Amino acid sequence: MIEADRISKTYARGVYALRDLSLRIDKGDFVFLTGPSGAGKSTLLRLLLRRDVPSEGQLIVGGRNLAELTPRQVQAYRRSLGFVFQDFKLLQNKTVLQNVALVPRVLGMPPSQQQRRTFQVLKWVGLQHRMSAYPLELSGGEQQRVAIARAIVNDPVIILADEPTGNLDPDLSLEIMNLFREINARGTTVVVATHDRELIRRVGRRSVTLNHGQIAELA
Amino acid sequence: MRALQYFFSEAVASLWRARSAAVLAIVTIAVGLFVLGFFLVLNTNLQRVVSQWSESAELSVYLNDDATAEQLKSVDEMVAGSGLSSRRHYLSKAAALARFKGDFPDLASTAGALSGNPFPASFEVQLRTDVRGATGAVDGFVTAMSGMPGVADVHYDREWLTRLNAVVRGMRIAGGVIVVMLALAAAMTVANVVRLAAASRRDEIEIMQLVGAPFAYVRGPFVAEGILQGGAGALLALLALAAGFYALRLRFGAAAVQATGGDSLTFLPVPVVAILLLGGMTLGCIGGYVVARRVR
Repeated sequence: MIEADRISKTYARGVYALRDLSLRIDKGDFVFLTGPSGAGKSTLLRLLLRRDVPSEGQLIVGGRNLAELTPRQVQAYRRSLGFVFQDFKLLQNKTVLQNVALVPRVLGMPPSQQQRRTFQVLKWVGLQHRMSAYPLELSGGEQQRVAIARAIVNDPVIILADEPTGNLDPDLSLEIMNLFREINARGTTVVVATHDRELIRRVGRRSVTLNHGQIAELA
Repeated sequence: MRALQYFFSEAVASLWRARSAAVLAIVTIAVGLFVLGFFLVLNTNLQRVVSQWSESAELSVYLNDDATAEQLKSVDEMVAGSGLSSRRHYLSKAAALARFKGDFPDLASTAGALSGNPFPASFEVQLRTDVRGATGAVDGFVTAMSGMPGVADVHYDREWLTRLNAVVRGMRIAGGVIVVMLALAAAMTVANVVRLAAASRRDEIEIMQLVGAPFAYVRGPFVAEGILQGGAGALLALLALAAGFYALRLRFGAAAVQATGGDSLTFLPVPVVAILLLGGMTLGCIGGYVVARRVR
C-alpha cells in the first residue's frame, strides 16, 4: 500500500528532514510514527499527503509514485485519504454539521447523500447531538472527534493523523485512539504520528521510531 | 448547478464577512462605470445633435444686391451642374427679411426701423449626403462660386461642424483614457478585496485542497465574489446615472432642446445598459480570477 524507497527530504542549506528512509506499510495496517520533535514524522506525513515531494527516492502509494502525479491526479489521490491534525483544523464559522459536510459537498455528492453520510459519521463519533454547535463551543476531545468524522466521511483508504492527541488529556487520547482502532478494524490503513510513547504502549500497535530523519527502531 | 449554488452562497457569505472592503470595491467599480456611462450618454446625445446639424448643413451663396438676372441664372446653373447639391432654393431679399422676422420676433421691430432691407438674396444649397465628406470637391466648389460675378459671399456650415466633430472625437478619446484607468483601478480593487477574502479563508482553502476538491470548487467562490462585486458596482453606477440623467433632463431638458434644435435628450439604449452591466461583472470576474488562479 505505502512504500517509501530510500526517500530523503532536504530543506534550505542542505538540512535533512528525512534521510535515506525506506519503509513499507501494508493495506489495513495501523502504524505509529514516533520519535522526538524534528525526527521527521510530520515531514513524512506531508509527503504522504502530497503537500511536498521527496528530494530523493520514491514514495509509492497504491502503486503510484506520488512525485509523478499531475495536479488533477493529486486531487484524485487526496480523495482517497483522510487527515487529522493536532490543531483540528476546523472552520470556526461553520457548525459541526457544516464542517463535516464540506467534504462530500465539495466532492460533488448529491445533497441527500451528503446529509445521510454526514449524520452517519457524526453519530458514529457520538456527536449527533452537537451538530449545530460551533467548534469553539466544543471541548478539545469533541473537536477532535469532529475532525475524525470529517476524515472518514469520504470513506478513505488511508487515514493520516499528525499528533491527533497532542492537545488532549490521557483518557481522551485513548478514546480518540479507540476510534482510530475501530476505523482500522474496517480495513482502513491508519498512520498516526505521535511522540506519546505511553499511548503507543497502551494501544499496542506497530511503531516506527524516527530520529534525525532516519529509522531508529521498528517495533 | 449545485456547484454554482455553492460558489455564490460562499461568495455572499464572504462578502458579508468583509463588507467594508466589499463596499469600497463596489463603489470603486461604480465610479468607474458611472464615468464611462456619463461619457456614453454625453456622446450619444452630442452625436445625435451633430448628426442632425450635419443633415441640415447648408451652403449659402449670398448675392450682391445689384446682381443681374443673367448672373443669377449663371449661379443657378453652376450649382445645378456641380453635381454636389441635392436641393437648391433661391431666397429673395424680401423672403430673407420675412424669415428673420419670423425666427426672431423680438427683433422684428428693429429690422423694420432700418432704412432698407439689409438681408441679401441667396441660394441655399443642400449638399448630397455622399459628398459631405469630400472636402476637396466641396472646397473647390466654394472657391469657384466665390469668384462668380454677382456673388457677394459663400458661407459653408461644414467648417464649424468639422471643428465640432473634432471636439467630440477629442472628448471621446479623453473619456476612453479616463475610463480605462478607472476600469484598471476597479479591477485592482476587486483583486485586493478578493485577496483579503482569500487570506481570511486560508484554513478553508487548505482543507479543500487536502480533501482533493476540484480546482473549480476551490477557485469558484472567489470568481463568484468578483462577479457579484462587479455586478453590484455596475448596477449602482447605472442607477446613479439614470437618476442624475432624468433629474437633469427634467430641469434643463427643454432648454437643451431649444439651444440645440434637436430632439429631446435620450438615456443609454438598452443594449448599452446591458453591456455596462456585463462589463462590470467581467471586471469583477477578472479581479476575482487573478486571485483565484494563484490558489493551487
